[in-house]
Amino acid sequence: MTLRQMIPAFMRLTALFAVLLCLGNTARGAEDDYQLGLGYRLNDQITLGGYFSFEYARGDNVDEIVLDDLALLAYGNLSPRFSYLVELESVGVYKKDFEAGTSDTNFPPAVERFYGDYKFSESANVRFGKFITPIGYWNLQPINVLRDTSSNPRYSRETFPKFVTGADLYGYTPFDSDLEYHMFGQVSQDIDDSYVNIQVDEHFGLVLSKQLTPAWHAGLSVGRYQQTDDTRASYFQVNSRLDLGSWRFSFEGIEDRLDRPNQRRENKRAMYLQAEKRLNSQHSLIARYDYLDDGLNDDNEEVGVLGYSYRPVFPVSLKAEYQWHSDSRFNQLLTSISVLF
Amino acid sequence: MRGLIGILLLLSASLAQAGDYVVVVSTSTSIENLSSGKLRDIFLKKRSFDGSVRVIPVNLLGNDPARREFEERVLNMEREELKRYWVTSHFQGIAPPATQASLQSVKSFVSSVAGAIGYLPRDMVDGSVRVVYEF
Repeated sequence: MTLRQMIPAFMRLTALFAVLLCLGNTARGAEDDYQLGLGYRLNDQITLGGYFSFEYARGDNVDEIVLDDLALLAYGNLSPRFSYLVELESVGVYKKDFEAGTSDTNFPPAVERFYGDYKFSESANVRFGKFITPIGYWNLQPINVLRDTSSNPRYSRETFPKFVTGADLYGYTPFDSDLEYHMFGQVSQDIDDSYVNIQVDEHFGLVLSKQLTPAWHAGLSVGRYQQTDDTRASYFQVNSRLDLGSWRFSFEGIEDRLDRPNQRRENKRAMYLQAEKRLNSQHSLIARYDYLDDGLNDDNEEVGVLGYSYRPVFPVSLKAEYQWHSDSRFNQLLTSISVLF
Repeated sequence: MRGLIGILLLLSASLAQAGDYVVVVSTSTSIENLSSGKLRDIFLKKRSFDGSVRVIPVNLLGNDPARREFEERVLNMEREELKRYWVTSHFQGIAPPATQASLQSVKSFVSSVAGAIGYLPRDMVDGSVRVVYEF
């Protein structure tokens, strides 16, 4: 076993140990305080929470129900400057395929996130471990209950690694205290690559973002990564969001340049544009246009999504959407129930 | 005409209230003043420092008028919107600011803890705290 393989294995064991330690402390009891959506706050050092989602999909080629994810997370401040977060997640816990007449279970949890933050100052802080790649909006709120639709645009699934196992230097720039930056890097395999979308052993990126007006936010990212199959990629990404009272408009787009060994260079482009109309605090309507053009895999797709979201309370989400794909065989109805606890 | 008088009364009432509340830090903290944008970031826990000074926001428990005014005028958010924000932050590993049960305890906490920052009615300000923002 090489050092590159030993580090992820060690961190995986440590993450499991950290969660067990937190649960042990819970059993002992403390200044407990539970609120749905805000977790079980034992003290400043430990807050426990989690989430799950059920999804049902129905279309020409699909008819299935899935307990899609079940996760536990713990976080807290171990000192005024040092905090941590650990999250274990099982994906596809139970799946019943009515078309094929089969069912499947998958319970062993993976380390979804496991990181520490050390805060030095307004302009320099460090995050280290396995964390969500700090790009755009969708990737930072990837779980069903926080999203506006049950589905994810292909932009968020296929164009850059969703996680980094490494370090992130972040804060506000010294020359503009409202301009936020992230500089992150990875030079090993993932702590746990069970559910990562792109398996990489090297990834570097720079992210800049700014709240330009109280209603308008924008950001951009550049980066490059190397997949474990030696495919090399570089990307340029932009994102912008406009909040106009009951209306919210979000846009993210990316261009990837991909070099696969012994093949010619190809480009991959993806974007989505989403409009959300909040009817009141519980009901919303969502319309989204997704686009992906993948030169490497000769895949070109457009998807239109019309959705409805009902939240009896914010941490509980019931959603339904219909997807129109450019290849109509993939049109489908998707519904879900998800809870953040 | 009655509508116009109503609007004028509301406008005059809101003008009379502006500046009734202040954001304060301990006199031992080097922060002199803060912009509304930075204050918003601090109380939403997007920002943990002002320069090199570590800041610790403290909220008033419950639905006191001082808290309502702070949320409306400085955070520009309704309570429901704030609840949504903190649920989203829970997933990011960020908990809401600590709370104190009364204005007097907010003042005691701020005056005795380096970097603590809270809000008070202007008439509670004395030599133990420094005003960094008015609303």
